[in-house]
Amino acid sequence: MRFFWKRRVKNRCKFGDLPEQVCSYLAINESQPIISKIPFRSQRFVVLDTEATGLDYKKDKLISIGAISLQDGMISIEDSFETLIRQIETGDKESIPVHGILKRDLEWAAQEEAALLCFLSYINNSILVAHHADFDKNIINHALQKRFGLLLLNPFLDTEQFARRLEKGPFEDPFHKPGDYSLDSLCTRYDIELNDRHTSAGDAFLTAQLLQVLLCTARKKGLTFIGDILK
Amino acid sequence: MASNTIIDRVKTELQKYPPFNQLTDNVLQGFSTKIKVQYYQEGEIIFEKGDDPKPYAFIVIKGSVNLTETIEQEEVLIDVCDEGDIFGVRHILAHDNYYVTAKVAEESLIYAVPVQEFRNLIENDSKVALFFAAEFASGMPEREYSLAHSVTLRKAYSNNPCKPVLVENDTLEIHPTTNVVSCAPDVAIQHAAKIMADRNVGSIIIVNDKRHPLGIITDTDLRKKVVAVEANVKNDPVSSIMSSPVYTIEKGKTVADLIILMMKTNLRHFCVTQDGTPNTPVEGIISEHDVVTAEGNNPAVIIKEMMQCRDKEKLAMQREKAEELLISYLQQDVGIHFIANVITEVNDALISRAMEFAIQELNDEGYPKPELRFCWLSMGSEGRKEQLLRTDQDNAILYDNPPEAEAEKVKQYFLWLGEKVTKILIDCGFKKCPADIMANNPKWNQSLTGWKTLFEKWILTPEPKAVMHSTIFFDFRPVYGNMDLADELKLFVIEKVKHGQGFLIFFAVNALQNPPPLSFFRNFIVESSGKHANEFDIKARTMMPLCDAARVLAFELGIKEYLSTSERYEKIAEIEPQLKELAKESGMAYEILMRLRAQNGLKHKNSGRYINPNNLNKLERQALRNIFKTIDSLQSAINLRYQLDYVRG
Repeated sequence: MRFFWKRRVKNRCKFGDLPEQVCSYLAINESQPIISKIPFRSQRFVVLDTEATGLDYKKDKLISIGAISLQDGMISIEDSFETLIRQIETGDKESIPVHGILKRDLEWAAQEEAALLCFLSYINNSILVAHHADFDKNIINHALQKRFGLLLLNPFLDTEQFARRLEKGPFEDPFHKPGDYSLDSLCTRYDIELNDRHTSAGDAFLTAQLLQVLLCTARKKGLTFIGDILK
Repeated sequence: MASNTIIDRVKTELQKYPPFNQLTDNVLQGFSTKIKVQYYQEGEIIFEKGDDPKPYAFIVIKGSVNLTETIEQEEVLIDVCDEGDIFGVRHILAHDNYYVTAKVAEESLIYAVPVQEFRNLIENDSKVALFFAAEFASGMPEREYSLAHSVTLRKAYSNNPCKPVLVENDTLEIHPTTNVVSCAPDVAIQHAAKIMADRNVGSIIIVNDKRHPLGIITDTDLRKKVVAVEANVKNDPVSSIMSSPVYTIEKGKTVADLIILMMKTNLRHFCVTQDGTPNTPVEGIISEHDVVTAEGNNPAVIIKEMMQCRDKEKLAMQREKAEELLISYLQQDVGIHFIANVITEVNDALISRAMEFAIQELNDEGYPKPELRFCWLSMGSEGRKEQLLRTDQDNAILYDNPPEAEAEKVKQYFLWLGEKVTKILIDCGFKKCPADIMANNPKWNQSLTGWKTLFEKWILTPEPKAVMHSTIFFDFRPVYGNMDLADELKLFVIEKVKHGQGFLIFFAVNALQNPPPLSFFRNFIVESSGKHANEFDIKARTMMPLCDAARVLAFELGIKEYLSTSERYEKIAEIEPQLKELAKESGMAYEILMRLRAQNGLKHKNSGRYINPNNLNKLERQALRNIFKTIDSLQSAINLRYQLDYVRG
């Protein structure tokens, strides 16, 4: 299945059927995959967060993606990313009665497609990081598949799982409360000031700061290589 | 297309601290975009002494970083950086290796700023440039900013330096002296000096043939550029030494305007021209003195009222008014030199009036004043013209040697006089001196010979108590009576100190008793030992060391005038080139401290001696930190100058 979609995307690229960003994204991830035997410090991580219209990634729509990179222990403000995929309601009012719905959908599609292409160029072949990463991964993959028949190739690191692993070791503590590893609890625990909560960029920035602390802890525990942290 | 949400977050963090709070939104936006966020755990090293400079400067956003140096295998704390502090700038600008090691003291969030961004900021914003100006100078420790620019900074960053809300009457117009003394630019200096002396004025305006002002010569110019230079320049034209251009203003300026102008320009003379520019004829001149004594201006009114007071109780009332004046001056950031002068004038007037009352009373009681020269001496801070808040009295009486037959009678008279005057001063809010250094104490109420004998004894046998007394008594200043008597005593002391070399060494050792604190850490003072304290004695730890050092140098250099500590430093800078920079900085430091202490004292209704870092803003802390460093350098210089290591060991 995985092999199958890749070949299809490659073929479409050959015929110039897909945007250039999709093709180069695929190419770089194929030619330069993440190597688990290099130190994670020099690796570029892209910490991201998404917002959607709901929690069902198959039905709900992507509203925004916020992301920021971390490399060599530094979060780079310049190398951050924020995109809003929202209808502009103030558009051409007279045209709405005629083809209102159609126009909206078209605009949505155009916005989402542009945002995804920017995002692909931005993430490149970095390791992606998110808190509760599954949801973000799924909703982005869903959108990518719908638009370009593409799925994300980057490895994912879930800060929730990572924090759990670093704090508790391989053995789960059966007594932990469900909320203990929420972004809020972790930030409070690691003394990271909770600002701009619940905007994708704000949460991405918080998660990046959390990752900074976690990677520091990991290094202290003797973990050095990418393979050590991508279990 | 970086995220605006994230950039805004960074902007908000930076805006909490100077100089970033002064940037325009646009500039701050661009700057914030370039920030790299770093996280360090306790004990991590950000850079090490001798390392090549990193391509970043660092701002502490959370946590703290210690700057240390290893001297003879021992780690010495140089400074502590907490939230808002910037470090690692100088090395970048100077393309030098790091002088110090930056070690994380507490888990820290650091913003790293690319070098180029810092450069851009400094090049494009004069306020920021000012903030980092000292970083360009070489030979300074990691994050020392010079005092000179702390002062300018305080003004630049002050919220409203020019809010003209002086107390009543200050909106009164100042009438310039219209009878302006002037001369042409080719007149010889000596001739100009003679005109000034003949007309009894402190300045002369140099004008062209249309009477447009070209420059000005003041007493200070004559002193600095003529008397103090070795070459004989007396016959040179005045144009060679005049300060030019002269600051011109329009007519109709108020007291408040002038105070603010003096504060801003640091000038003491302003030339009034027809249209306020140098291109119209001179119409008048306004000096600092005119402002202090302007009709309707408060200090002058207070002084006048004091001099005309019919009873002693009214004196106290007038002195209360001076306190209000002090508050309003301090609030408006009026120059401390000016404030100290005003308060000294007021206190001197009060003492003079108290003397007159006392002499009159004694006369009425049947004890007429002996036909004999005498003089009231103010000591300590009052002697140095530095008393802003009313503290304890330190005073004495000096009288000429009486004929032997009348010695007892004269002695008794001046004791009564001392008693009466100190009593009036107590009623006016000047507390009794706990050490009893007052004119009603027979020990401090003596004939010229008596004083000379006493001072000589102190100088020849400088045991601790003698040295301690010298620090108070040698700052004497005549306030009322025959000034020449005091001059004679002063010259005597200078002469004796000069020949009794040992004394200066003890005097110098005394000046080094109290080292300043090292730095600040949040709401604590950091001592060189690394210990923290939550308040510090601004008098003992900063003002006394500066004041004591100035006194030692002043006596060594034979400075005869009765000067304040800052004036002493000014003079030292003038006559001792080796100490020029340090003396200038020390003088400025002292004025900042006087202001801080006065503000603190007024706020807490006490002497203002103890400062809690909680009550200081970031800029004040930075200024104080620089002062600590200045005092430290000054003490090292004193140590070296008098070779005290040999004495103290």
